[in-house]
Amino acid sequence: MEVNGQLALTVLMGLFLVAVAAWLARVENWRSYTPVAGGGAFGQKESYGSEEKPSGVIRWLTTVDHKDIGILYGAYGLTAFAVGGLMVVVMRIELIDPGMSLISNTFYNSLMTSHGITMLFLFGTPIIAAFANYLVPLLIGADDMAFPRINAIAFWLLPPAALLIWAGFFPLPNVIPAQTAWTMYTPLSAGAGAGNQANAGVDLMLLGLHLSGVSATMGSINFIATIFTERGDDVSWANLDIFSWTILTQSGLILFAFPLLGSAMVMLLFDRNFGTTFFAGEGGAILWQHLFWFFGHPEVYILVLPPMGIVSYVIPRFSGRRLFGFKFVVYSTLAIGVLSFGVWAHHMFATGMDPRLRASFMAVSLAIAIPSAVKTFNWITTMWNGRVRLTTPMLFCVGFVSNFIIGGVTGVFLASIPIDLVLHDTYYVVGHFHYIVMGAIAFAGFAGLYYWFPLYTGRMYQKTLGKAHFWLSMIGTNVTFFAMILLGYGGMPRRYATFLPQFATLHQVATVGALLLLIGQIIFVWNFVQSWLEGPEVEDGDPWNLRDSGLYTAEWDWYDKKLETAIADGGETDDAAEPMLTDGGDVDDAADE
Amino acid sequence: MANKIFDRDTLLDLTVNVVPLFIMAFFVVAFAVFSPFGIDPLASSIQFGLLAVPFVLLAILTYFAGKAVAGAELRGEVYLPGQAGVRGAEPLEETEHGEAELDAGTSTAAVEGEADERDAADESAASEEETTDEADAGDTNADDDAETEAADDATDDEAN
Amino acid sequence: MDAEPGLSDQYRMASPWPVFVALGIPIAELGIIFGLFPLSVGGLLLFGGSAAGMAFESGYAKTPWRGLFGVAVPLAALGAAFVFTAIDLPDRGIAIAAAAAILAAAGIAGTLFSPTEAPEY
Repeated sequence: MEVNGQLALTVLMGLFLVAVAAWLARVENWRSYTPVAGGGAFGQKESYGSEEKPSGVIRWLTTVDHKDIGILYGAYGLTAFAVGGLMVVVMRIELIDPGMSLISNTFYNSLMTSHGITMLFLFGTPIIAAFANYLVPLLIGADDMAFPRINAIAFWLLPPAALLIWAGFFPLPNVIPAQTAWTMYTPLSAGAGAGNQANAGVDLMLLGLHLSGVSATMGSINFIATIFTERGDDVSWANLDIFSWTILTQSGLILFAFPLLGSAMVMLLFDRNFGTTFFAGEGGAILWQHLFWFFGHPEVYILVLPPMGIVSYVIPRFSGRRLFGFKFVVYSTLAIGVLSFGVWAHHMFATGMDPRLRASFMAVSLAIAIPSAVKTFNWITTMWNGRVRLTTPMLFCVGFVSNFIIGGVTGVFLASIPIDLVLHDTYYVVGHFHYIVMGAIAFAGFAGLYYWFPLYTGRMYQKTLGKAHFWLSMIGTNVTFFAMILLGYGGMPRRYATFLPQFATLHQVATVGALLLLIGQIIFVWNFVQSWLEGPEVEDGDPWNLRDSGLYTAEWDWYDKKLETAIADGGETDDAAEPMLTDGGDVDDAADE
Repeated sequence: MANKIFDRDTLLDLTVNVVPLFIMAFFVVAFAVFSPFGIDPLASSIQFGLLAVPFVLLAILTYFAGKAVAGAELRGEVYLPGQAGVRGAEPLEETEHGEAELDAGTSTAAVEGEADERDAADESAASEEETTDEADAGDTNADDDAETEAADDATDDEAN
Repeated sequence: MDAEPGLSDQYRMASPWPVFVALGIPIAELGIIFGLFPLSVGGLLLFGGSAAGMAFESGYAKTPWRGLFGVAVPLAALGAAFVFTAIDLPDRGIAIAAAAAILAAAGIAGTLFSPTEAPEY
């Protein structure tokens, strides 16, 4: 039996490798005889229709163009957002009722774990990478990323990562979903004790997380190299745009944080499978928390800095003014980057660590609030007396600032030890960080998606639907997460599928908010897909009328150039590099989608 | 060299990071003067290390970032952030360290407190105007280091 | 990286290798963690072969064959570490070493028998 299984696996693996080799040989041939990769598909598209689809797929599988990879990241991130969002909708519906009604408690725990990991690692990091891949080379005047193939590898590690992280939900024999929460605290996650977390599902999730970490690290090295070495002649440190600054800082954080997470997870896997005892016992449990949060707190800033960059980038465009105190924002971004490594144990105030250490972590946590507050001040001052145009991306930016203030202020309180000891592990914490991750990070993501929608689709989204999306998201976010803050004040602990009846009303309010969010996101998907397919085409490279206020930027100029060459259509060769880029990528894109 | 790069405006920009540095320094002193949990060789050294290490690292990073940004301002044309790659982009008229970002250009929102900053900016702008106006980054990017040479070479610059 | 004349301009926009490098890593990880010999070997072969192919394609190596050695040597070291050190996981170590051996063999074969400087793929 055992031998047969091994044999079957060997045969399958061998067949797979042969198939890969054969396919590679074919693709290489195909490429040497086709003048432009993907160009053939485009040229023949009209006449052959769906028969050309395979080469369309191959184009996406083999692309190393930063714009294509950006689109792939974006599609991946939004898919993960939908999955994680639907997971939490199920959880919120379960929480309407104090008892266990719709789903089992263990399934609730599984959903909660996957929701967190999906949103942070499979939505948050990739959606930022989507913007960064698409925009940073355009903004800094680079032809492509410094290492385009590494870029492609970094993306293609993510789909297997998602499959592994969600593996427990698939109907695999003897595999159950992980129920460790995203923090994966030992001894629970080490599979010790009488629980069911020794299951292979947890190993698969750890492997998936490890892969996503490898992916993020590769991407970050690429961004650092790109921003340092591939800048255009005129792009100096003095006029590097704010989004690239935040991506540079974020990449630095990833470079120091993610390898640590990867190592810690390999140690945990060894504990689980090979009998090591890194995280055994009381000291081991604390060791895990230290290692995890030394990654985990910078991760917070890894997720929030680029969205801050997007907001800093977009707000001035619709305020008719330059960003107030541009360099304050740059330097405070760097300050956040450094200080974020000095605050990790504020997640562990309640572990009974030495009070002297606790005090130091509190001090640095308070210090890191300053750079964030400086940014908030700058955003508000940028809008102050500006000619504010409340377009959908601008609305999302304003929503970002508003939610970030609530999320940030609640965070400052949590950084204070006495308050933290009261509120630790309550819904207050959940409300606080959801104000940041949903109210701020996701909002900035939407702002970016709407702002650059014409850039990557060549079309305009539907304004009314965009505004409906914003208002439903804004109201939904505040209803849901403010209710959570109140629940936390009331003492409702985190992570439970059931609760005391006294919390029922606020939980129901939170669920109503979550459903509002759901409706908003359905509208978003509809708007996004329909506008991409049928929206009015953008005629010039300045859809936001930025030239009038002198705030036109490089990526729109690139787009303008692309439109000009596309319209001329005479096979002109004076600008050889550009048509090449567009042929492989975006012209095809527009026809394809 | 250092004095030239870290002029008053750059220092003013860097104050944003001095505030967290000050907070950390404050707590170092506070914990040294007032230690309610007593002094323990290991725990106390970690306690101060946790404050000192971020302090030092932040100070170093701030120094180098300020040097890179201010140095780049001296060496080449300064455009609005994100506009350097735009065809036909015009560099900022003066080297307006602090002022460039504060000034809304079209809006009437003269920020209060800008007036005294403007004086400072004018002083330095006067001295830097020559360097930056003449040094066309497009012509002289080959030699990054020699800013004076750059100014000499690029006398025939056009609007790019 | 850039500024390779001629066809390489087009090659820059598409490469079949990254997706297989990315696929090789999880397959190998799964195989090694769960002790599935064929997956370990196959995943590492896929990873190593694709990495070598990519190095060749992007111009970092003149032929893909030496790249195979470049992957095989660290893998052999890792496999040996699994077998002979305190890690003490001989089955998995042998799987890694086997992958290294196959990659090295492919490298030797390629060096000896490849007809031209430019290999078929």
